[in-house]
Amino acid sequence: MSLFGTSAGFGTGGTGVFGSTTTDSHNPMKDVEVTSPPDDSISCLAFSPPTMPGNFLIGGSWANDVRCWEVQDNGQTVPKAQQMHTGPVLDVCWSDDGSKVFTASCDKTAKMWDLNSNQAMQIAQHDGPIKSIHWIKAPNYSCIMTGSWDKTLKFWDTRSPNPMMSLQMPERCYCADVVYPMAVVATAERGLIVYQLENQPSEFRRIDSPLKHQHRCVAIFKDKQNKPTGFALGSIEGRVAIHYINPPNPAKDNFTFKCHRSNGTNTATPQDIYAVNAISFHPVHGTLATVGSDGRFSFWDKDARTKLKTSEQLDQPITACCFNNNGNIFAYASSYDWSKVRVRLYSLLCAERDKNTLSEINKTTS
Amino acid sequence: MAEGGDADWELSKENIQPLRRGRAISALNQALSQQQDGPSSAINQQKQSFESELRIYEGDDPLDVWDRYIKWTEQTFPQGGKESNLAMLLERAVTRFTEEQKYHNDPRYVDLWIKFAENCPEPLDTYRYMQAKAIGVTQTSFYIAWSEEYEKQGNFRQADMIYQEGLKNCAEPQDKLLHFHKALQARVSRQVMTSMVMDDSDDEAKHAERVSLADLKHRGKKKAIAPVNRVGAAVKSNSQGLQSQGALASNNAANSRFVVFDENKIHSDEPAEPKVESWMAPPPARAKENEQKPEKWCDVKMPQRSRFGHTLTSLPPSKPTFQPFVEESDQPPTMTPCKINPAVNTVLSARKPCKEETPLKRLQEHHQQAEAGKVQEQSMYCKELLLSGATEFCFEELRAERYRQKIAQDSGTRGQMDQASAGTAN
Repeated sequence: MSLFGTSAGFGTGGTGVFGSTTTDSHNPMKDVEVTSPPDDSISCLAFSPPTMPGNFLIGGSWANDVRCWEVQDNGQTVPKAQQMHTGPVLDVCWSDDGSKVFTASCDKTAKMWDLNSNQAMQIAQHDGPIKSIHWIKAPNYSCIMTGSWDKTLKFWDTRSPNPMMSLQMPERCYCADVVYPMAVVATAERGLIVYQLENQPSEFRRIDSPLKHQHRCVAIFKDKQNKPTGFALGSIEGRVAIHYINPPNPAKDNFTFKCHRSNGTNTATPQDIYAVNAISFHPVHGTLATVGSDGRFSFWDKDARTKLKTSEQLDQPITACCFNNNGNIFAYASSYDWSKVRVRLYSLLCAERDKNTLSEINKTTS
Repeated sequence: MAEGGDADWELSKENIQPLRRGRAISALNQALSQQQDGPSSAINQQKQSFESELRIYEGDDPLDVWDRYIKWTEQTFPQGGKESNLAMLLERAVTRFTEEQKYHNDPRYVDLWIKFAENCPEPLDTYRYMQAKAIGVTQTSFYIAWSEEYEKQGNFRQADMIYQEGLKNCAEPQDKLLHFHKALQARVSRQVMTSMVMDDSDDEAKHAERVSLADLKHRGKKKAIAPVNRVGAAVKSNSQGLQSQGALASNNAANSRFVVFDENKIHSDEPAEPKVESWMAPPPARAKENEQKPEKWCDVKMPQRSRFGHTLTSLPPSKPTFQPFVEESDQPPTMTPCKINPAVNTVLSARKPCKEETPLKRLQEHHQQAEAGKVQEQSMYCKELLLSGATEFCFEELRAERYRQKIAQDSGTRGQMDQASAGTAN
């Protein structure tokens, strides 16, 4: 039973559902390739929440469109629907019940896309491109949080054209993440602000950046009681910082690690440093995945402070990633500026996978 | 001439930094009124658009973008200050084009250097650096600014020589150079005249007034003389022109008990032309008061006090030739109670000689690094593009700007095509 109405036609038809059998640098991991990828780089990916049966993947791109695919259990992907903005799409997110998708774009607007009716309407307006959009579901309210390059963070009730609340930030929003009741925004000039969302959103703390370079991506992680307790912050120079909000021993508990660099131990040649483009946490095991401009993705265990796995090098940078709601599928998008876009799905359940890797990822953190 | 409503700037005159070129009154009023409301989004947007333009400009004249951005910043932020990032912008602009020969004598670039020099703690060093790098050597504005700096410091001789240097290098526009040179000479000679007149009046009216900064005349039989040591600017203010500087200095020297160091005297011994040195090491841009480098504490022996207050040094440099008097009840020197263990106590550890960061030094280091070319780590992204303006950009901002430009171009060509087709249709 299809969830949506008639699916809007996509542009050029995609080729090949499964990865090719010959080893090629496009798909060295032999992962499943998604059909009908967008025509330009992908900026963001989001899987549907657990409240919805099945797996649906949303991807926003620099070709001004947002596409939706259904990912079936056999790995096959079916393009479902598409919406357009008048500018490149920078971020997407789902509502908690899985009926709506919110998209943020360079055209300074955010839209709400009702998947049942396949209609999209504008719900937010900023003075500058909107870089991040997140759905907040609190016991006494629910709203959309948008962070923009106009240095404001606005909260929108989707029914009203005016924001519920507007918070001023010291600099442009570069990335954000929300896990109720905590929200983290990383801004330009290495700014870092934590907000608390209980009752109504308010600024909780401004943190001195643990990184020396521009902030690029942030993701909140939870503790064993499923409460948000800290975040991982990635920079443009191959480093990720793990930061707890209220650790018992900040000097020992917070740390940074290098990633997405070439020539690890070889000191003769200079080390190439790449940007960390996105960070995602596994919803069940709490391990984290990072993707970088070097064309690799890596899985890490932040509690054991070890690297679990690094992929082979793709020929293009990986720009976005996300886990599905039960952690069985990891989607990553590799795209170069202005050409050759691919979205792939890495199955963590596939029998042909390296058994050791699987067991490492699946082991519960002590 | 200013109507009631337009006189807002009158109220905050002291907060407005003067510009050589003058300020547009409308921009000034707008900037002042907006500042009361806080940073407005219009200003932010304009700033952002300048920043974007800086990064994606692909034409032949990148200096133009910097020039317009800096001029806009000056007009929009009358107070200067941190918000405007003016100092940083100037430094970046100047650093960016130092190696570009084609800009070395571009009047806009030279103007930027002059503004940068004025922000430096020691502008003369900057001007000398410019000369060494052959920046602005055919521009009159350079010589005028340099000479004015000398004049401000009271060094008329050097100020004059700078103009002569400019004439020698055929600086353009030449008539302006000559005009300013004549004005300087007029000022100097006027000062000579007034000080000569003052001296004459001194001779006539000995008992009329006590001349300031003159020797105090003693009364009575005691021949005590209160020495008046004049150095630096004070000497020149009473000087009788350029020629008799030396005479007055020698007068002062006779009065005082010791020879007063007069840096201008030293300068007059130097060859007439200012030496063009090659700047390999950064010039000491700031007057260093404490020349002593910080030393490790544990190597320095502190004189220890015995119980009876006698100061005993634990390690005398040489054995004294006489027998030091020692009291019978003298106790052995007590150890200093607090032993500073550098491994534990980081407060008193050896300080690294701190590098005094001045804009000129940063410029020097920038070039040394560029020449050295040694890189341990390579950043695999367009660092210059991200960091080139006053504030940083992220990849998406860069790309969004390129996208916007492409759209604008496409709509422009489409508009032209529409016009063309409309034209042909008619």
